[in-house]
Amino acid sequence: MQNGHLLELRQVTKRFGGVTAVNCCSFELAPGKIYGLIGPNGSGKTTLFNCITGLEVREEGEIRFKGERIDGLKPHQVAHRGIGRTFQIIRVFPELTALENLLVVTWQPFDAAQDRAQELLRFVTLDRLQNEYAGNLSYGQQKLLEFARILMTDPELILLDEPAAGVNRTLLNELLQAIRNLRARGKTVFIVEHDMKVIMDLSERIFVLNYGEKIAEGPPGLVQSDERVIEAYFGR
Amino acid sequence: MRKVLLAALVIGSILLALYPMVATGYGIRFMLQLFMWVALAQSWNLISGLTGYVSFGHVAFFGTGAYTAAILVATHGWHWAPASFTGGIAGVVLALIIGYPCLRLKGPYFAIAMLGLNEVMRVLVSYFEGLTGGGLGISLPILYASIQIYYAMGLAAIAVTATAYLIISSRFGLRLMTIREDEIAAEAMGVDTARYKLYAFLLSAFIPGVVGGLHARDQGYIEPLSVFPLLTTITMIVMALFGGKGTVWGPVLGATMLFVFQELVWARFLYLHQILFGAIIVFVVLLMPRGILGVLQQRYHLSRSL
Repeated sequence: MQNGHLLELRQVTKRFGGVTAVNCCSFELAPGKIYGLIGPNGSGKTTLFNCITGLEVREEGEIRFKGERIDGLKPHQVAHRGIGRTFQIIRVFPELTALENLLVVTWQPFDAAQDRAQELLRFVTLDRLQNEYAGNLSYGQQKLLEFARILMTDPELILLDEPAAGVNRTLLNELLQAIRNLRARGKTVFIVEHDMKVIMDLSERIFVLNYGEKIAEGPPGLVQSDERVIEAYFGR
Repeated sequence: MRKVLLAALVIGSILLALYPMVATGYGIRFMLQLFMWVALAQSWNLISGLTGYVSFGHVAFFGTGAYTAAILVATHGWHWAPASFTGGIAGVVLALIIGYPCLRLKGPYFAIAMLGLNEVMRVLVSYFEGLTGGGLGISLPILYASIQIYYAMGLAAIAVTATAYLIISSRFGLRLMTIREDEIAAEAMGVDTARYKLYAFLLSAFIPGVVGGLHARDQGYIEPLSVFPLLTTITMIVMALFGGKGTVWGPVLGATMLFVFQELVWARFLYLHQILFGAIIVFVVLLMPRGILGVLQQRYHLSRSL
């Protein structure tokens, strides 16, 4: 691992036609911490996640994971390197059962996978529904299932795209606790979130994007009072 | 439940194996064609039922196999069995050549590309007269082998259904289904979707090629229009949809029910049968998109490999 960074972005740029979605972004994530990524709608947060996970190909710049270049890899290759993600819109496999949703994402032997999947379903309180089709689960349950599916792949870096959106308070607290537990187990978490309270509570360090550019970076308290951030959110 | 099914399968297979001893010529031909439809519908199920990539040109593999086998038999004097097997290999080779570019296309674009493939193949065999006889077709030497072909077709149907069973009850099959469910999520979760799709496509192209070769031998004469008809693709799709795509027994059930139904109706009402067939397509697509077994599976949580 080069200079201790888990993930490192150098001058990453991504354009869609005339729109520069991500513009010369650079930042580093150290292992074992929770990071936040915020910014107004359309500021490039999801595009940045897509570039990291290989769903979009960055046009310029370098992305390194554990010191190795991962830009240019296919999404499944990035996943096998140890980066897992959830999506802004839920993307469970609806006509597979809850249990199958977890079994398909691991390549470990079947029996071990089955045990691990059942353990994770208990962890997210879906064990009674393991043979139910994922499409029949409620929104919150699908969200939990997607979270469990990420854990099933046991990634070192977990990208969560709006984990709190549309989740009720009780479920949210469970989810936040689960994220903290991940950190306690040495995982690195990178979260995009619109709920400011959630992200300020959770993150140790926050990056702020506006029009695809990083305009601020720092601990939550500092970022909150940064003039450029306030301006980006509320206007001058 | 599983034991009952297994017992029924064994008894059914034995009865079918003994059937030629008592059958009439019509009976043999009827069953032989039924086996062919089961094999075709099940092959289509392997790619389209599992990955959701709807192949609208699967008959291209059938026709390619038919021509390969017919040429080998008629001009090189091969026995029909190895010739048909080679027809299957020709199907796989074709799938390999076109699968790589075509499987990058999504949804309707893939369906249309496959439809185009079928037209291209038909034009190609018409054009290369020296090899294929062009529009005049190929006549195979006369041979009475209905009973042997009956067994060969039966074997093809069993082989592809067994393959479907093995795939659908494995994690390989589940991963193919993730492509149907949400390809982007599947990629992000580590499934090499391009490779998996290609594997499923190659598997789905082999048996249609073999069956095409057997069909050519059985008919004794083939021409471009007779082995590349769009209707054959549509029929195998409807059979698989009617029984339940993505399940092991759906295509078998769908092919059996529709073929028997078709045979009963068309002998009596030549034109009415096409209207009825169209009505079934509309009915299935609108009211029962999952098919018979698909509906039962959702309602009673039955296994896909039941």
